[in-house]
Amino acid sequence: MNTPTQAPAAGSDDAAADAHGAARTTEETADDLKADCIADSAGGLTFDLNAPQGAHTTWSAALVLRRRGDAADEEVRLPLGPNGAGRLRAVLPSTVALDEGRWNVYADLGDGRAPRRLLPGVNDLRSLVDRRPLAGIGRLGVRIPYATKLGNMVLRSWLRGPHAEAGDLLVQPDGMTVSGRLYGAAPGPGAQAEARARHAPEDGGPRATVTVPLTVEGAAFSFTLPYAEPAGHWRRGTEPWDLWLRPAEGARPVRIARLLDDVHDKKQVFTYPAMPVSAAAGEVRVGPYYTLDNDLALRVAGPAGADGGAGA
Amino acid sequence: MHISFLIHNAYGIGGTIRTTFNLARTLSERHDVEIVSVLRHRDTPVFDLAPRVRLRHLVDLREDSPTYDGADPAYRRAAKVFPAAEGRFGQYRELTDRRIAQHLRRIEADVVVGTRPGLNVHIAKQTRRGVLRIGQEHLTLDTHSRALKLALRGAYPRLDAVTTVTEADAAAYRRRLRLPGVRIEAVPNSVPAPALAPADGSGKWVVAAGRLARVKRYDILVRAFAEVVAQRPDWRLRIYGGGVEKAALRALIDELGLYNHVFLMGPASPLEPEWAKGSIAAVSSSLESFGMTIVEAMRCGLPVVATDCPHGPGEIIDDGVDGRLVPVGDPTAMAGALLGLINDDAARRRMGRAALTAAARFDPARVAARYEALFGDLLAQQRGNRLRGALHRTRGALLSGASATKDAAVAAVRGVRTA
Repeated sequence: MNTPTQAPAAGSDDAAADAHGAARTTEETADDLKADCIADSAGGLTFDLNAPQGAHTTWSAALVLRRRGDAADEEVRLPLGPNGAGRLRAVLPSTVALDEGRWNVYADLGDGRAPRRLLPGVNDLRSLVDRRPLAGIGRLGVRIPYATKLGNMVLRSWLRGPHAEAGDLLVQPDGMTVSGRLYGAAPGPGAQAEARARHAPEDGGPRATVTVPLTVEGAAFSFTLPYAEPAGHWRRGTEPWDLWLRPAEGARPVRIARLLDDVHDKKQVFTYPAMPVSAAAGEVRVGPYYTLDNDLALRVAGPAGADGGAGA
Repeated sequence: MHISFLIHNAYGIGGTIRTTFNLARTLSERHDVEIVSVLRHRDTPVFDLAPRVRLRHLVDLREDSPTYDGADPAYRRAAKVFPAAEGRFGQYRELTDRRIAQHLRRIEADVVVGTRPGLNVHIAKQTRRGVLRIGQEHLTLDTHSRALKLALRGAYPRLDAVTTVTEADAAAYRRRLRLPGVRIEAVPNSVPAPALAPADGSGKWVVAAGRLARVKRYDILVRAFAEVVAQRPDWRLRIYGGGVEKAALRALIDELGLYNHVFLMGPASPLEPEWAKGSIAAVSSSLESFGMTIVEAMRCGLPVVATDCPHGPGEIIDDGVDGRLVPVGDPTAMAGALLGLINDDAARRRMGRAALTAAARFDPARVAARYEALFGDLLAQQRGNRLRGALHRTRGALLSGASATKDAAVAAVRGVRTA
């Protein structure tokens, strides 16, 4: 399954989704439920929380995950059981598939009350930091817990197979070299990387695609994408290009993304220089960036930088 | 004991608030503790308050509150008691002067503890007799202006004790302010044991955390890391925090081609899980009045490479044993110390374990015990003075009388009304 490349508008995403999720003020109260979360290197998560005083949890108590957005009422319930004095535990094993997206986290204590939104306690994600699964993994699940601006706990989930993981990017004046690792597919003859213009041209023609050959060594891949061609297609404003990888001729293309660490939102953390490139329509600035879904993309921006960092 | 803290705003975010909450929590296990916040701008504090610690405010700045004080005419007039040279003067008004004075005149506590210079001046001048007066210095004497030092010199003789967070600052207070009869003692900030397992030293990450401000000199750290990467490209650096230097640092990282190795992570809270992801911590500051992040990193089992800047790092790190001290503003020296730990797995792990052990002295229980001992000592001395007071002018009374006279003289010169 591949993800939509259209991401929601930058910035609004957490706040809006919080308002849409559970109503709560920014003020904490003694009644708040905080969950500590520990990740294992396979992608499993363990949630530990303090049982609220006086609460009698029952067999039906559960940690409830609800996916945000319009996929109405998609819900995953994980048994929430006692774990020592006054503590409750739920486990999301790596083997439980969780659809790609953002999941709000609630505790249903089985006491008849509505499930309560959880706040993050201590998230111990050290085993995710330099995660390197076996390349043969069929489908890769990634879940990263984080706190929204309002302080609620959310699980960001990706589910991809095959998956092309971006590693170091080398930015040069006339192009960039991407190196990475392919999961769940073996590169074969005709393997290539593709940059696809996200927007169709105004004259109604097909969206432009630029392809470059892929160098592979085992599961490791690299390719160099010259900036000249995407820059040559530039007409106005900021034009994003999404980056894909085709493991072999005729194989289904795979989105290139950076998922294997503890950073839920790469966009602000993994940033790269944009280079000036001369094109027919004038000088543009070209550089890679990560989308709100942590997919790798290329941004071609016009002069004056009127809308500087735009593009999801 | 009944201990009462006086703090600028317990509802904000900052090192003083955090460390006061930590200390209050531990003291509340054996004592009656309250925190009095001069200002209140939101309903609940950001940091966790221990259930046994009482919190109240003197001036309510919540606009939607029925007891909102912001419209009071006395809130519009500038403060007269709170020293004008204090950094927070702009937030102090006639109304805060009045409310603080009322609070200190009626205070029921055995000990009142001020948490910043301006509040210490209030405590020195306005606390009713019989209550122990403690002034905490969370920054350093050196960083205060001449005018503020003069104000402190005028008021502090009426304190029973001044606490600093380093020995170096305590020495500066003894040498430069000359406060006869006032006990000057260094008591470090406390850092609780983290709620997760310490780092195991296996990750190839260096971690730094703090405001992206000029004084933190992250430019030096980034330049040092360029030298590290030249030798060990498998190691990377994360810098947590936000601030005005962000754009300049971003530009420097790009200029040095370090965008695959140095990451500006943005602010993180809590920080402990982020320290635990690293194997070495780095502090490049030109000034650290204490060095809270050094202790936090050590409590997570990281050896810290820090600049030997005034005042904190040298008192926290035992160079070569549980971390490294390097000269201020020297990227090559910092890179050398980082590479020393990067290239020697055994030394890195050994120093990490040593850091974990050494940092236990900053545990809230140990720090609170030092405060308890100080308060107990001073209370016993005060009782002794009171017993002898009827017949003899004791040394303490004599000195405090003398300082009060000098104080009044200083105040008169400045044209300020004494309380």
